[in-house]
Amino acid sequence: MTRNTEAALIIAASFLAAFGVTLVNFARGGSVDVQTSLTFLVFLITFGGLQVAVRTWAPRATPLLLAPIVALTAIGFLEVYRLDVVRAGLQRWWLLIGAGLAALVLALLSKPGTSVLRRYRNLILVISIALLLLPNLSSDWAFPLKGLEVNGSRLWVVLELGFTQMQFQPAELAKLGLVTFVAAYLADHQRALREAHRQVGPLRFPEPRQLIPLLAAWGVSVVILVWQRDLGASLLLFAGFVLLLYAATGATGYLAAGGLLALLGGVASSLMFDHVQRRVVAWIAPFENYQDEGFQIAQGLFALGSGSLAGAGPGLGRPDLIPNASTDFIFAAVGEELGFAGSVAVIALFALVVSVGLGIAFRSRDTFRKLLAAGLTFIFGIQVFLIIGGILRILPLTGITLPFMSYGGSALVGNLVLIALLLRISHEEAS
Amino acid sequence: MPDVILAILRIIFLGLVYLFVWQVARAIGSHLGISVRRRRREGRKILFVRSESQKGIEVEITDVTVLGRSDEADLVIDDPYASDFHMRLVAQENAMMLHDLGSTNGTYVNGRRVTAPTELRRGDNIQVGKTVMEVR
Repeated sequence: MTRNTEAALIIAASFLAAFGVTLVNFARGGSVDVQTSLTFLVFLITFGGLQVAVRTWAPRATPLLLAPIVALTAIGFLEVYRLDVVRAGLQRWWLLIGAGLAALVLALLSKPGTSVLRRYRNLILVISIALLLLPNLSSDWAFPLKGLEVNGSRLWVVLELGFTQMQFQPAELAKLGLVTFVAAYLADHQRALREAHRQVGPLRFPEPRQLIPLLAAWGVSVVILVWQRDLGASLLLFAGFVLLLYAATGATGYLAAGGLLALLGGVASSLMFDHVQRRVVAWIAPFENYQDEGFQIAQGLFALGSGSLAGAGPGLGRPDLIPNASTDFIFAAVGEELGFAGSVAVIALFALVVSVGLGIAFRSRDTFRKLLAAGLTFIFGIQVFLIIGGILRILPLTGITLPFMSYGGSALVGNLVLIALLLRISHEEAS
Repeated sequence: MPDVILAILRIIFLGLVYLFVWQVARAIGSHLGISVRRRRREGRKILFVRSESQKGIEVEITDVTVLGRSDEADLVIDDPYASDFHMRLVAQENAMMLHDLGSTNGTYVNGRRVTAPTELRRGDNIQVGKTVMEVR
């Protein structure tokens, strides 16, 4: 596929978004209106602009990554628009901002290359941890930067600019920083980690001393879980770290030890913490607890079930009955209105993005770039797995957003930057 | 808006989504070299890309093949800089081994002179004198 094919696919997906919006309008008795053209234009500017940035600053980057992402954004946007027109308007602004930031990342990295991220890994770690801790700032002091508690989790930061205020989840960017740090750390210590190991039966175990970073990551995840009550981010970071350790060393022992630690932490925290226990109860018995904990999951399952094969049609179902449908449960909304067919298409598109990301990692010769590409792809894939698994009741529900589809500015910006980094890596490896 | 048209439109929408997914998947598949048909016989053919008289000829290497200027070579290279018995290609699964048979002017793979047996993959370039062959 060439850049021009990619451009054609971007235009096609922008058309798809506008078509979907129009279908929702039709279902409401309206017709083609300003929303249709606005959506088409914003998609075209966002992703067309991103492609121009790629052509300028990373011309050898893979042309395979943008197309599936535009399609995912289009399908997600259609459901957000269907659920909440005001949020859809905001989402369009976030798309433009996110594309701008992604282009900025490409421009900034065009001279020094991604190796600059490896050199400043400790600075990146400090910034990421600071970002993670930002929501723990006081909510009622005079300083314009405040923490905010929403639905029992401390994830938000409010920046008051006098006339207006901006809300942001700094963890979305901190995730990228943490992955970058871990990739750089492992690239620097790969040999030591790889050589020091013992064979125990079929499993290769690292030396006990080498387990320290693993335990540290586990500690960070637990701290996030306890202090910020964010089950999703906690699981995501831990799983991402374990997979990256495995990718760097090939030691299966890390997977076993990591799985054991996760299980241990999961069981312990569900016994000790109320907010985790509620999630587990809702997961195991949603219909028995229909009135309280299980309501959201049960509504999601009803939505998926009533969607059947081809769905109710955009704007014709009732996904608005699911609490938080446009953020956490966007996949259930897709399942209801586009049916099994639409959900499978969405999962296929995610699988394609992950396969392209891992392809970039496999083709990379430089260790840091290889691990960074793998790590970014891992956290992208794990997010998708965790939230779709939660909606399908395969896993306990974690309040993670579905990349590129859920409403949410911080997540959209973070994921567009993630894609920009992957594009940059593929450009450097092709040069 | 009548229900029938709406129903048709939303099926068209789903159809377009799938058309899109199919296009993207095919592009990615061909990029990664995942194609059932091509996979079986990959990296076992050579195509003359640049040559005085043999340009465009594609030969499949099935077993052990000796290439050179001599008529007794299995595959004749029509190039004044080629030795009589210039090199040997040994077919493997999805690859070939190239052995230079002590040729006078050398064999170049991807621009580098061959000094030891070299594994050839799909897309590699072999140069003998002014003749260039591509592994396919």
